[in-house]
Amino acid sequence: MYEANIRKPLVTGGKTISDVTNDICRPIENKPTPMWWLGFTISFLLLMVFVGTIGWTTWEGIGVWGVNKTVMWGWDITNFVFWVGIGHAGTLISAILLLFRQKWRMSINRSAEAMTIFAVICAAMFPLFHMGRVWLGYWPLPLPNAYGSLWVNFNSPLLWDVFAISTYFSVSLLFWYLGLIPDIATVRDRATTKARKFWYGFFAMGWNGSARNWHRYEVVALILAGVSTPLVLSVHTIVSMDFATSVIPGWHTTIFPPYFVAGAIFSGFGMVLTLLVIARSVLRLQDYITVEHLEAMTKVVMLTGSMVGLAYLTEFFIAFYSGVEYEQYAFRNRAFGPYWWAYWTMMSCNLLAPQVFWFKWARTTPWFIFIMSIIVNIGMWFERFVIIVTSLHRDYLPSSWVMYSATWVEVGIFLGTMGLFFTAFFLFSKFLPVVNMSEVKSILKSRE
Amino acid sequence: MLDKKLILGVFDDGDKLLSAVTKLRQKGVEIMDCFTPYPVHNLDRAMGIKRTNLTVGAFLCGLTGFLSGLLLQFYMMTNHLNTFKSWPMIIGGKPQNYGMVPSMVPVTFELTILFTAFGIGILFFYRAKMIHGKIAQVLDLRQTDDLLLVAIEQDHLHMDRSELDGILKSNGAIEIRERNLEGTSNAKNS
Repeated sequence: MYEANIRKPLVTGGKTISDVTNDICRPIENKPTPMWWLGFTISFLLLMVFVGTIGWTTWEGIGVWGVNKTVMWGWDITNFVFWVGIGHAGTLISAILLLFRQKWRMSINRSAEAMTIFAVICAAMFPLFHMGRVWLGYWPLPLPNAYGSLWVNFNSPLLWDVFAISTYFSVSLLFWYLGLIPDIATVRDRATTKARKFWYGFFAMGWNGSARNWHRYEVVALILAGVSTPLVLSVHTIVSMDFATSVIPGWHTTIFPPYFVAGAIFSGFGMVLTLLVIARSVLRLQDYITVEHLEAMTKVVMLTGSMVGLAYLTEFFIAFYSGVEYEQYAFRNRAFGPYWWAYWTMMSCNLLAPQVFWFKWARTTPWFIFIMSIIVNIGMWFERFVIIVTSLHRDYLPSSWVMYSATWVEVGIFLGTMGLFFTAFFLFSKFLPVVNMSEVKSILKSRE
Repeated sequence: MLDKKLILGVFDDGDKLLSAVTKLRQKGVEIMDCFTPYPVHNLDRAMGIKRTNLTVGAFLCGLTGFLSGLLLQFYMMTNHLNTFKSWPMIIGGKPQNYGMVPSMVPVTFELTILFTAFGIGILFFYRAKMIHGKIAQVLDLRQTDDLLLVAIEQDHLHMDRSELDGILKSNGAIEIRERNLEGTSNAKNS
């Protein structure tokens, strides 16, 4: 039994083991609530917007976007980095906090990992469709081909990204599924309908909670956590190298890898908070995802927000200190050029806003945390926009300076991925246990 | 499969199960298995389960991934393995020999992780004899919900039955049952 006298209980409400099963299985075993239908319908409509706009892009070509020769990466890569970053919180919670033996991860890791997977799917859409001819999307894979020995270019960070993102996605999926198996078995053994018995039985892979298997299971979970930790750090490092290995002023910076990783964790926790503040009240999980959990996450948000803020300021200082006029201009242009509004949105949302979490009230008031989490999401989206668009739109050659603005198609695709993300999350909350029951059962306070 | 006769001690708490198992092992009782809805820490040690060597498997899988990553890139990007059949790819004047090793780090790293994770996953399912669609051998439907079971084979029990019951009861077993291992997946909810 897990007892720590200096800490408050991780699960409140005096829950017993069977209460945990009943509470978490309730959404799966009952008809969806009106709130669920409402949320699902809105998300599904947005998903249809995605289908429409991405279909139009595929049919007509990238010309329907606002990108041009100078600003060749616009909303698409902004959104790509945004979604990949969001994914990082899930792995951080489930892997890094497992290695650090942080027990509070246990009631949020399942939903955070689900978020990782859906976010990476959303992210993958952008580079895939940006290639223009999506049916040739397999070309970045090192496949034998009929063009002589024409292989993919392993010197290119974009190819590293292909490997990083696909490894990240598949390993996260495996980790998530492995964690789900004991809980799927629980649902299977409670099933009252034939279909449920069959499908949950199919995916439970014959799990019966044998101590011998638990022993192996825990070793495997630890190894997966051990490899996922450097993996998650490598993924955003490699994403940052897409920029850092170029010679564009504003991108060519050695601070990018740690700065991107901190930003990814920051934005990921922002999105986790957005989701969980809603999910805990809609699914009535306040006893499992307590204010303590929210508070712990806001502390991470504040820390990583400050790290990101420090990186912004360091970048500025180094641009000045380097004495390179192109570098200096790029940063002056960011803050005071035509895209000043994006820069200052980023600064205020990411550096200043999270500082309110120094106050206990801010860390423990769910509705306020929700608003803050939205601000963090907005701020981090703008960070990527600032990095990509302001660095590109004025480069070495003033005759090619242009302005960039998104077309309705790009806006639609972005909103559409929101739809994809939330549709997936709503389906997940209907068909799978949103809280890791088997882990939560091991941290209940003494039951009488 | 042989018809194994099992004695089941049913518990409602991991700590009670753990202390019962520890007591039984001290008395030299061989425990077939325990079934718990959540991982009970130290239960594996108390039962005397040998530490799994899946970690060795993970290392070997990782090594395979590491070497595959290097081989893949040396094969495709350099001529050290005499693989340039038609033309080399000169992109940005970047090196095409050992000089490109730094560029190989990310992909080699990712493949190491990929092979480790999937290797260990597959090895785990193999060792735990788990596969999609397998019918679970469940002794009690609530063993994945809120009951914890300790299963002892009657034939391997070198102890008076009443003494065993006594140990189980004194450690907080709420029930003691007997069951044949065959056809157990249809066990009714107690």
